[in-house]
Amino acid sequence: MRYYLRKVAFYLVALWAALTLNFLIPRMMPGDPVDILLAKLQQRGGSVDPATRRAYELLLGTDTHESLLHQYLGYLGNIAQGRLGVSVSDFPAPVSSVIATSLPWTVALVGLATLLSVLLGTGLGVLVGWRRGSWLDSLVPATTVLSAVPYFWLALILVAVFGSALGWFPLLGGYDVTLTPGVNGPFLGSAVYHGVLPAITIVVSSAGSWLLGTRNMMVSTLAEDYVLTAWAKGLRKRRIMVWYAARNAVLPTVAGFAISLGFVVAGSVVTEQVFAYPGIGSKLLQAVQGNDYALMQGIFLVITVAVLGANLLVDLLYGLVDPRVRT
Amino acid sequence: MMGKTRGPGTRASAVLAAAALVITGCSSSNGGQGTTNGAPDVTLVAYTGQSSDYQVNFNPYSSNIGGIGTIFEPLFYFNMLRAAPPEPRLATAYSWNSDGTQLSVTLREGVKWSDGQPFTARDVLFTLDMLSRHKEMNGIGYDGEATAPDDTHVVITFDRPSFVFGPQVLGRVYIVPEHKWKSVADPATDTVAGPVGTGPYTLAEFKPQAFTYAANPAYWGGAPAVKKVRFLALSGNQSGEQALRAGQIDWQSAPIPDVKNVEKNYPGYKALITPLNQMVLTTCSNPALGCTGPQTDPAVRHAIYYALNRTQINSLAFEGTSSEISPGFGLLGRDTAVISGALRDRIAPMRPDLAKAQQALQDAGYSKGSDGFYAKGGKPLSLTVKTVAGWADYITALSTMSQQLKEAGIRLTVEQLSWNEWTAQRQSGRFQLIMDSLNQGPAPDPYYLYSYFFGTAGTAKVGDKAGTNWSRFSDPKADEALDALTRLDPKDTAARQKYFDTIQVEAEQAMPYIPVLTQGTVTEYHDAKFTGWPTEADPYAMPAVWQAPDNAEVLKRLRPTGK
Repeated sequence: MRYYLRKVAFYLVALWAALTLNFLIPRMMPGDPVDILLAKLQQRGGSVDPATRRAYELLLGTDTHESLLHQYLGYLGNIAQGRLGVSVSDFPAPVSSVIATSLPWTVALVGLATLLSVLLGTGLGVLVGWRRGSWLDSLVPATTVLSAVPYFWLALILVAVFGSALGWFPLLGGYDVTLTPGVNGPFLGSAVYHGVLPAITIVVSSAGSWLLGTRNMMVSTLAEDYVLTAWAKGLRKRRIMVWYAARNAVLPTVAGFAISLGFVVAGSVVTEQVFAYPGIGSKLLQAVQGNDYALMQGIFLVITVAVLGANLLVDLLYGLVDPRVRT
Repeated sequence: MMGKTRGPGTRASAVLAAAALVITGCSSSNGGQGTTNGAPDVTLVAYTGQSSDYQVNFNPYSSNIGGIGTIFEPLFYFNMLRAAPPEPRLATAYSWNSDGTQLSVTLREGVKWSDGQPFTARDVLFTLDMLSRHKEMNGIGYDGEATAPDDTHVVITFDRPSFVFGPQVLGRVYIVPEHKWKSVADPATDTVAGPVGTGPYTLAEFKPQAFTYAANPAYWGGAPAVKKVRFLALSGNQSGEQALRAGQIDWQSAPIPDVKNVEKNYPGYKALITPLNQMVLTTCSNPALGCTGPQTDPAVRHAIYYALNRTQINSLAFEGTSSEISPGFGLLGRDTAVISGALRDRIAPMRPDLAKAQQALQDAGYSKGSDGFYAKGGKPLSLTVKTVAGWADYITALSTMSQQLKEAGIRLTVEQLSWNEWTAQRQSGRFQLIMDSLNQGPAPDPYYLYSYFFGTAGTAKVGDKAGTNWSRFSDPKADEALDALTRLDPKDTAARQKYFDTIQVEAEQAMPYIPVLTQGTVTEYHDAKFTGWPTEADPYAMPAVWQAPDNAEVLKRLRPTGK
């Protein structure tokens, strides 16, 4: 019990530290949202009158001269009540609704792709480690090369080949915009169809590292005495591979998986740019470019909570899986 | 960032593009290709450069996605590209009293809101009063008082001569229906999800990835021929180019690779280049307001002006899409009649004149050192120019200039900043040179550019935020001329010319903004599917898809070809 209490307390402190940084860092950025909006307007040939600035300052409420401490306390209070403020770049939409429309896309696409990548990479890693020295070993350099290629480049090539040249998959977007979003067959089908190519790029580029890690753990586990004992007892090969070797070899993978789950939310900026996919990554980019503090804080908050939550969960589960950490 | 960024280009061959056209043609989102009553019912798909999902907002006073011109109309339409009187929209005529304090407007009769209610002077009064009451919506700085003698006339009274303010009220106030808006608690932050307007289009549906307009069958000017218009959300210019290549969008305004061969690379499409914004090297010019560095000397600014090879910059950085510029900043073509005869150069020379550049420097006491660069009092003539990382065309232009200036004995270092950082430094004057462009005002009248960028009212000390006059230029003669222009009826061109001459000569002599080229906005459109686009010969509206209310003017004139 003490183990769990200690963990929870630690995560609460980490959360507070993250929230505080989350408040401070965006405010160190140069420029303010009104300047950015006006610069955008001007670049698009709009006339920027002195009156326009005043109106925007009033509209966005950025002309307040509250002290930083005052703002900080207000921020903590608002977060405690679940209020994330109003997005400046999507004015006047509340940050919570901006996040609510984009988060599901990212979680579904990147979450599923990450899960697939881990399952595929670990499964192959177990197999390659088990059959070390066979032709399967060539999978290791092959997949490592794919991981080493810059992600955006790989994605652009896949788009050029499967999207443009062969036309097997749609080039852009998250669904066919003529359909009505919701739980209906055509829309879900279209969403899945649009998600396949982005998901493949994520899996292809990340499965290699999982494979390599698992394969190496597998090889060293196979040299352990208890595996030899299992052989000596005359157990079936399959049982030795799965229950004696693989079970111990995948422990580091479980920890790694937790961390990558947390980064699912953050790791989608490039994917969403290449595929024009709706999601939290493009909103984060928009927030940073527009000095949209509230939206940035909202998204960082989601990322922080996701990373901390995933870690806490795995920490707790790890206690169950591996009794050694509890003592 | 719009219209500037150029991602890593994917240059698939024309064969690939054609194949993609065929394939996506079957499954693309272009919707109902079926015909009703023999007329083709085609959806026009437009992309404004929106780089993430849309959030619903059709409030014409806070929206950055749409509704202006298409749903909510102004009283008049001012075409920034042509020196011509404004075209009547919700009003049919306007007149000023002799001293410019009273503006009388005659409204169009028989106009109906899209919910069937009649449009009257009460709606105009309501809209103007709303701007007076809600300072946060009053981006045009309206401070008049409006009355309506009857249902079709509105009289607006100002407490000072306001001739130059006319285009703001007549062209930038989008009239909203009183019967809908009077019950809105806070019109500034209302998102107007179900907009009711007088415009040629109504909102048919909204989704975060796309929203669709439908033609307004009861539009006073007759329902537009293009029955449906869809605006997509993609992820920026790169994705826009891909969609264009696949034939998924019909209209966008963004630079594309190899723009000269657009008809070959994108079968069925054409491109139109519209010169509007004037590219300059803004200098922090005024030592009295805290500027420091060699560029505070007008001789240095003139030397740079003469040393530039504009033809080379145009071909290397802008693929030949830019054009000549006048050092008095009258827009060539549109303002030909206004461009002063007192200017030394009516048009900035496209070829460098190194002799003049060196003469200017030597007259100012600079002498050439053994390293080939000029120096004065032991201080080398070395300047830093700031631009935004990722603005590939500007960065190329500046590296080209840096080579050109080296030949003239001036050292130019290019510094790239993030957009936010650059915007902040531009505002506060913490720069020697920045590459930027000067924008036009609400009417085809150079007065606005002069008042934004040359007036003392728009500037501030270095360290404080300047509104628009980032060069810190401040000159009593220019201020006097600007002030005099506010008291003259824009129709009285003869009386105005004297003041325009003064400002242009000042702009050329002091040269706080070193003219580079006039930037061309590139628009690509599906010419095989729709006809009636603006052309160079007939620029009836700014063709850029993101320019409102101009885009509504274009949509009204388009017709599907049925192909």
